[in-house]
Amino acid sequence: MNPAEREARLLEVGSDLVRRSPADETEVALSEGTSLLTRFSRNLIHQNVGTEEVWAGVRVVTAKRVGVATASSLREEALRGALEEAMAIAKASEPVADWPGLPPPRPVEKIASYDAATAEMSADVRADLAGEIIAAARAKRAEAAGAVEIEESTLAVISSRGVAAAHSHTRVQVHTVVTCEDGSGYAEGLSTHAADLKGRAIGRRAAAKAAESRRPRAIEPGRYDVILEPPAVGEWLEYLSYIAFSGKNFAEGRSPLSGKLGERVTGPDVTIWDNALSPRTIPQALDYEGMPKERLTLISCGVAKAVGTNFHRARRLRKRRSSGSALPSSVSYECLPLHLFMKGGTSSAERLVKDTKRGLLVTRFHYTNILDPLKTVLTGMTRDGTFLVENGEVVGPVRNLRYTENVLEALGRIDGLSRRVALVRGPMVAPTVRIRQVQFTGATEF
Amino acid sequence: MRQAGASYGDIRIREDRKEHVNVQNGRPEHIAVDRSAGFGVRVIVDGAWGFFGTHRLEESALEPAVRQAAAIARASARPPQATRAARARAREPVVLAPVEPARGFYETPHEVDPFQVPLEEKLALLEAATRAMRGPNLKLAQAFASSYLAHQHFASTEGARLEQRILQCGGGIAATAIAGGDMQVRSYPNSFRGNFATGGWEFVRAMRLGEEAPRVADEAEALLAAPPCPQGRRTIVLDGGQLALQVHESCGHPIELDRVLGMELSYAGDSFLTTDKLGAFQYGSPAVNIVADTTVRGGLGTFGWDDEGVPAQRTPIVEAGRFVGYLTSRETAPAVGRTSSGAMRASGWHRIPLIRMTNVNLLPGSAGRLEDLLAATDDGLYLATNKSWSIDNKRLNFQFGTEMCREIKGGKFGAIYKNATYTGLTPEFWGSCDAVCGPEAWQLWGTPNCGKGEPSQTARVGHGTAPARFQSVQVGVRA
Repeated sequence: MNPAEREARLLEVGSDLVRRSPADETEVALSEGTSLLTRFSRNLIHQNVGTEEVWAGVRVVTAKRVGVATASSLREEALRGALEEAMAIAKASEPVADWPGLPPPRPVEKIASYDAATAEMSADVRADLAGEIIAAARAKRAEAAGAVEIEESTLAVISSRGVAAAHSHTRVQVHTVVTCEDGSGYAEGLSTHAADLKGRAIGRRAAAKAAESRRPRAIEPGRYDVILEPPAVGEWLEYLSYIAFSGKNFAEGRSPLSGKLGERVTGPDVTIWDNALSPRTIPQALDYEGMPKERLTLISCGVAKAVGTNFHRARRLRKRRSSGSALPSSVSYECLPLHLFMKGGTSSAERLVKDTKRGLLVTRFHYTNILDPLKTVLTGMTRDGTFLVENGEVVGPVRNLRYTENVLEALGRIDGLSRRVALVRGPMVAPTVRIRQVQFTGATEF
Repeated sequence: MRQAGASYGDIRIREDRKEHVNVQNGRPEHIAVDRSAGFGVRVIVDGAWGFFGTHRLEESALEPAVRQAAAIARASARPPQATRAARARAREPVVLAPVEPARGFYETPHEVDPFQVPLEEKLALLEAATRAMRGPNLKLAQAFASSYLAHQHFASTEGARLEQRILQCGGGIAATAIAGGDMQVRSYPNSFRGNFATGGWEFVRAMRLGEEAPRVADEAEALLAAPPCPQGRRTIVLDGGQLALQVHESCGHPIELDRVLGMELSYAGDSFLTTDKLGAFQYGSPAVNIVADTTVRGGLGTFGWDDEGVPAQRTPIVEAGRFVGYLTSRETAPAVGRTSSGAMRASGWHRIPLIRMTNVNLLPGSAGRLEDLLAATDDGLYLATNKSWSIDNKRLNFQFGTEMCREIKGGKFGAIYKNATYTGLTPEFWGSCDAVCGPEAWQLWGTPNCGKGEPSQTARVGHGTAPARFQSVQVGVRA
């Protein structure tokens, strides 16, 4: 698939629908792409799937009444059906008194994030990438489970205000859990280019961790200094995006940042921003309103600075323009910044361990959930490699623990960050961090 | 499919329609209709699976889709380059448990098709409910309704020919009170958009959302002023809604046999209920009886056949506390010497069926109504309506939060507490269950947001529960 040709075709299809719409204002967002996923377990591929999908979101506004409907096809009857359903919803709705109109067009930067070789990666090549991970596990007499996922997609947004923007991207994501007796280890890779990911290296990292985490010993829950590796930090960032950096939650008083912009909400070592334009993430040029993505500082040196917005939410918050964080109009969350970065420091992951008298090294978290959004209290388990650190040395694996912690408060206790940051699932870019006295409230049996 | 070399193949042609109506503070806040249609082809070639799904609902798309699925299956079957030299373990070909190829039609029994109910009527019901929620600190009064239709044709190379129209709907209300840096939410009949069932709009009408709204708002306000849940080991009584999620996380997921066999390991984890425990492991107390039942009317996991054409059935899971059964598929059931329990479900045409919960039900006990159970409890805590959930990757250590907590003293409700949590280990927790309310207190709960698999799939599943009592449970965990 030539992405330029597809962008042009989607823009044409969308423009045609906008022209035919009887609404005062019409916005059409179209995405088309293919996703392929090869899943393995116990050193064998057990699931292997491919899908070609279309998503068409139609938003109409008539006399300030808004209607939204979606379809899964570019066929005329499907698009016409979505337009008619959106019109029917608008008719039944009440006017939105402060409706600012659909956003006017703004220039969207062209970003190179489509790799034809990745888009065309065959099932055989995916199987070979999985095989490299499996081979690395076998070398340690271990078993690998995981997935190789390829996605290629184009998003085009067209509106009656004159928006006509498109972006194409590829994404390859590989992750594995390697088990070795009663130990387990995790590693992952994420890129726009499949050639960037080396299966054997990913497999070796997870296998080494699995071997090191065999025969974990039980330790008592309590407060421990922790060294969190990037996947663990990334999971906290993902939750912060949802509960703290959502413009909708912010406006409704449900964000811990509500009413606190300009105030200190965490420690001075914490700087978090959203930047979907960076080549260090999986770049995205535009949001679902066709607005350009922007670099948005959310927390600077511990001080709350901004939240993600779409156009309507931005106007309600008295901002001139949106931050380019609009989700599909069919999603009630409205707007979220989804490409977060956390600033690193001056240390290294190894140094953070060496400087720890007694603490825990945590590979990643599992099943995190929200206990109290206003206080950013989260709970979750450690997983796939949790180690006790004493006098600057990793002294051995421990059984997994449950944390229950106020995350913004905990980030305020950071006393070390690695210079090196890593792209982890989300996509989030995060350093390794050391935090004093994180609260672990329970333990499990493995 | 045969021409493409498939020893087995099936196709699901499916159209989904969803409607979500959100009302906030007396006004429509978000209304959206989603439609999705396409087909998915699943084949076994050279003993391995391949799947391809496409939105192209046209005859000319069939052959390319089958070719794609077959190519994917062949790639699964051959040892990858990197493992050839490493003396790859010989792949055992996929063997499917037998099932009689069925032909037929199933439609969810219902009185009122929710998609035929005018949007104006839905908005009027929800708007009235939110206007009935009032309070000095009430910032958000919300009401929700959602409707789902899945219309599917299934055919297999074994001769199955099935058509199903599964209709689901539900709704609820939520009051959010915010003051002094604290936020408390109270919901009815359940949190996270309410309760759901297979059936028609009559299910939503019967909720009487407007009548419950003032109480819900009052309780949200009361929670703001309440002290936090005390810490310690206590006797607890769980309401049916919270118990449904407890069953979901600590029984429903660990009995999925694909998870037990490691197929979900790298994503949501595996299970402590390993196959050596089948028939031998004491999962809970003798008061605990659990079944997976796709035949019960109204459950979100109720249908005619699963997505492999296996007929609806009732499967014992826990009998008098002993673990006796799994949720299985045609591929996995032979691993425990059984036939499929009919639990394969896909979230749409674009996803492969996985083992999913159907209706995993805690059967009623003999403790009568909730009032009877409370009266028989001298000192404890009553925890109602889920607020948060988390469980480890083998489904042992869990922690739940609930919206409401009431002290039980001398068989009666006492003080209200906020921010209640309880935690434990699954077999120890279910082992401490000493009373389950009876059939008069038993009802089905719908969980519309169950996530599993890669690519991610969201399933709508059911749980029948009656309130139950547990002894010596750790409560009051907080940051």
